[in-house]
Amino acid sequence: MVTKRFLISFAASLVLAFGATTIAQEQAPTDADAESREQFRSLDEDVQDLKKEVLDLNRDLFLLEEELLFPANSQVAFFISMDVGEYFELDSVNLKIDGKEVSNYLYTEREVGALVRGGVHRLHMANLKTGDHELIAVFTGAGPHTRDYRRGATLMFKKGIGAKYLELEITDRVKKQQPEFVIKEWE
Amino acid sequence: MANCRSTVVALCLILVASVQPAKAAADNTDPIVVRDPHYGEVLFYFYQNDYFPAIVRLLAAQERSQLDEHAEQAELLLGGMYLSYGHHLEAADIFERLLADNVAPEVRDRTWFFLAKIWRQRGYLDKSQQALANLGDTLPVNLWREAQMLQAQIYIDSAQYDNAIAMLQAWEGRTEWASYAKFNLGVALVRNGQVDAASRILDELGGIDPFNEELTSLRDRANLALGYSLLQDGQPMAAKRPLQRVRLEGPFSNKALLGVGWADAEVENFSRALVPWMELRGRDLLDAAVQESMLAIPYALAKLDAISQAADHYLNAIEAFYEEANRIDRTIGFIESGDVFEQFLADDPLDSTGWYWRLEELPQGPEARYLYHLLATDEFQEGLKNYRDLNYLNKNLEDWRQNVDVFANMLETRIEAYAERLPRVEDALGRADVDAMIDRKLELDSVLNEIERSNDWLALASESEFGMWGEISGLENTPALTADIPEAAEVSDKISLLKGVLQWQLEDDFNDRLWRIRRNVRQTGGGLVDTQRLRRQIDDTMRKEPLRFADLRNRVYGLEPRIDGMKLRVAGAMADQREFLQSIAVGELRSQKQRLDVYTVQARFALAAIYDLAATEVESAP
Repeated sequence: MVTKRFLISFAASLVLAFGATTIAQEQAPTDADAESREQFRSLDEDVQDLKKEVLDLNRDLFLLEEELLFPANSQVAFFISMDVGEYFELDSVNLKIDGKEVSNYLYTEREVGALVRGGVHRLHMANLKTGDHELIAVFTGAGPHTRDYRRGATLMFKKGIGAKYLELEITDRVKKQQPEFVIKEWE
Repeated sequence: MANCRSTVVALCLILVASVQPAKAAADNTDPIVVRDPHYGEVLFYFYQNDYFPAIVRLLAAQERSQLDEHAEQAELLLGGMYLSYGHHLEAADIFERLLADNVAPEVRDRTWFFLAKIWRQRGYLDKSQQALANLGDTLPVNLWREAQMLQAQIYIDSAQYDNAIAMLQAWEGRTEWASYAKFNLGVALVRNGQVDAASRILDELGGIDPFNEELTSLRDRANLALGYSLLQDGQPMAAKRPLQRVRLEGPFSNKALLGVGWADAEVENFSRALVPWMELRGRDLLDAAVQESMLAIPYALAKLDAISQAADHYLNAIEAFYEEANRIDRTIGFIESGDVFEQFLADDPLDSTGWYWRLEELPQGPEARYLYHLLATDEFQEGLKNYRDLNYLNKNLEDWRQNVDVFANMLETRIEAYAERLPRVEDALGRADVDAMIDRKLELDSVLNEIERSNDWLALASESEFGMWGEISGLENTPALTADIPEAAEVSDKISLLKGVLQWQLEDDFNDRLWRIRRNVRQTGGGLVDTQRLRRQIDDTMRKEPLRFADLRNRVYGLEPRIDGMKLRVAGAMADQREFLQSIAVGELRSQKQRLDVYTVQARFALAAIYDLAATEVESAP
């Protein structure tokens, strides 16, 4: 009888113990929880500080790298952009400056998506002497009715003193239902 | 760039992406045309969710004043990207500065709402509360309800139960938010000691007809809490109803099955209690309910006088608990070694640095099954995000560290090349006397002026014309022409005619010749001006270049210690963060092991009691 009483009381203790465990899920947070939250916050604040410092450092390094590689006087930057892009699905762009191939860039789906949404890709940076230069860009991709499409655009441009920016824009010519490739100069 | 690119839309996209992607897509405001290619470049990375490079480019462009056309939008975009990158304190600084009056109220409200949400996730309850206080009345209804819920949860988190109860009791509407409100009301009531009132609320919630998985789960959770509350209160039969409403397969089913068994056991119906407990036998031993069922089954068997079977089950339980405890020990060792976090970083792609990233799968391994439920907690998830972000920073610094040597080489080569070229340039410049050339040009100008003033048409004659003029003049003075013969008069007439024709031609061409000469002189003057400008630029460059080199040298050679110092700090922060995550994971495992130890002791006691009973019965037999 003693054993039976023990087993019954053991069972009851389990019920109570387990019941308390389950309800505890909805119970108030303990001091340990508050301490852990405080510790997390302190660590998070450190991480925030570091993020800021590393971002600032990256900004400085980015500027320094550009100044070293492409001094403002000789710098020319070539950008690619898309306007609408319904008649052309971009695959790659080939760039020649004064007859010399300088870039052959293959776009990922994600990058094309970013261009379609309005992003502008800096395709190439170069150092060029002042004077006249020739740019030839060849765009490859899928044109209307998903046919393979390859088109070129040429521009003679003058490099003066100071940085120069050229934008290669892919636009839709709605009337002809064809893409159009335009090269523009930015000062 | 003629197409429509709205950064306002972009910002809204950032802000609502995690909650309502479909609505975010429909969120459209007036488009803004990109007028700076550098701004478009920032967008190129931003649209790919590559926030780090996008932020760096934006900061660099701001530093160079290349975003003048988009100054305000760029600042807002920066705030949005900081938020997406998890740099929430810096984002808040920007928003606090800009949101006051420069931005549409709906954008401002959404921004404060998301800041409030992120801050609550990260445990910044005070800041979250402040952000909610900044909300106006332009939030869409669904976000407004979520904001209200956030407020109630902050009250609960900070033990302001009366405020939470008052707010949740006044909840209006019949959407799924009403169900969450009801559940949170139940939680607040329980924590406030109003268990009866909580039971009524939970019972109401436990009887709803859910239309999605989330609500079904919420209903199960309410039924479970209510069932156990009634069990505790000594109402086992009343407890069965809510417990049986819990689904048989779901995150709360094991506990519900265990509870149903205990409800029957409470009224001495042990054979019935065995039915749900036996169902638990084949389930995952990691679950506390399954572990408890391994003790409950032999207990019921003993009550049904199946003593030998009960002893077998206790022995099985002891063995199973022992093996499980060993596995937990091994897992603790694995976690303390730090390998699990290395594995996690190895599996994690580096481009996934966005705020909305959540780790859904742990790296494969024996420890994964013990840590799955940790993934559901904000603290562990946010800690992992920080750890991953720190690792990204570390790699970024390492890459730059390697580049510093390249920069230094590049700079030294350039300085050397400059020093080599300088004497040649100086020599060439010394030989080219631009000032003398300008003097000559000015002299030419005054000669031309004099020619024009005196109408000196002969001065503009070509060399052959001038020679011809001289020849004719010479012939005019020939003595033979003075002879009084008809031939001499005829020749004189011819000479006069020739001279007249030549003079007429020169006079006729005078203006044209003068204009052409002046044009050539002007062009030469233009060339000289360009040459003079170039010369000034060369002089300027020669003066500035050494200063520029000195500045670049300072910057390049100052980088190494700066990067190294930062690397040390990032490594320290990574170690702290890892230790924090380890302490959460190991703490969780230790509590699991502790529970197993308690159950093992209970099983041993019960087994000893059974052996005692058997021995007593043998001794008392005739």
